[in-house]
Amino acid sequence: MKTYFLLPLLALLAMPASAAKMTMPSDAPKSYEAECASCHMAYPPGLLGQKNWQNIMSGLDKHFGTDASIDAKTESEISQWLLKNAATKQKYSAFAPENRITKAPWFIRKHDEVRSDVWKRAGVKSPANCSACHADATKGNFDEDSIRIPAK
Amino acid sequence: MAFVSFIGPAYAATPPELLKGYEAQSSKASPARGEQFFNAKHGKEWSCASCHENPPNHDTKHIVTGKVIKPLSPNVNAERFVDQAKVEKWFKRNCNDVLARECTAQEKADVLSWLMIVK
Repeated sequence: MKTYFLLPLLALLAMPASAAKMTMPSDAPKSYEAECASCHMAYPPGLLGQKNWQNIMSGLDKHFGTDASIDAKTESEISQWLLKNAATKQKYSAFAPENRITKAPWFIRKHDEVRSDVWKRAGVKSPANCSACHADATKGNFDEDSIRIPAK
Repeated sequence: MAFVSFIGPAYAATPPELLKGYEAQSSKASPARGEQFFNAKHGKEWSCASCHENPPNHDTKHIVTGKVIKPLSPNVNAERFVDQAKVEKWFKRNCNDVLARECTAQEKADVLSWLMIVK
């Protein structure tokens, strides 16, 4: 009888741990850092599903208000790697509106305690600036214990 | 254009070499004109200085994402303007963002000639 209560509890406890790790695959092509991480951090591919990555990579000349175009060879190299490592679990691969990580259902749920003025602080600037609060974001570590929210 | 898809040391260059190349396609560069161009808006929301600041001789932050951008002046940052393909790629992207078109060789020459004297 006890296990009926214990099992859901265990599942619940396991959730934050699985969400906190979005490991950066070790086989990222050099071009990913060079081409994609000049203006923003190198997002781990597991933060979006395949359809979102496909959309992003096919519209780089109009990339969230900027021209991020790259040559065809590099584009195909990065695309293949992103698709291979895209989120597969239903929770993270669910379509993110506008192809924005910050509009994915899981992202919104995870950040629902963050007040709107916090996002606007100079030290944060944008919800896309993961590293502002998640010190080890570039390593794919979003663990709640390592969150440091800038005071200004 | 063939050189765009070619990445590697074969396109290693120096800032004066790149400047000479742009001047060859236009006319003599004007640092004063380059400074003005760099700091002005050109019909869109951003200027070059929106992200690189003025003078671009220190770490700055991307106006939207907050990501740190290394200094743009080759006097301060030896990695700037030493790879032709990289320079062309960024002129294309950023000119589109600031001017909604590609920059002319004259504009590139002017801006680069100013960046080379930014201390």
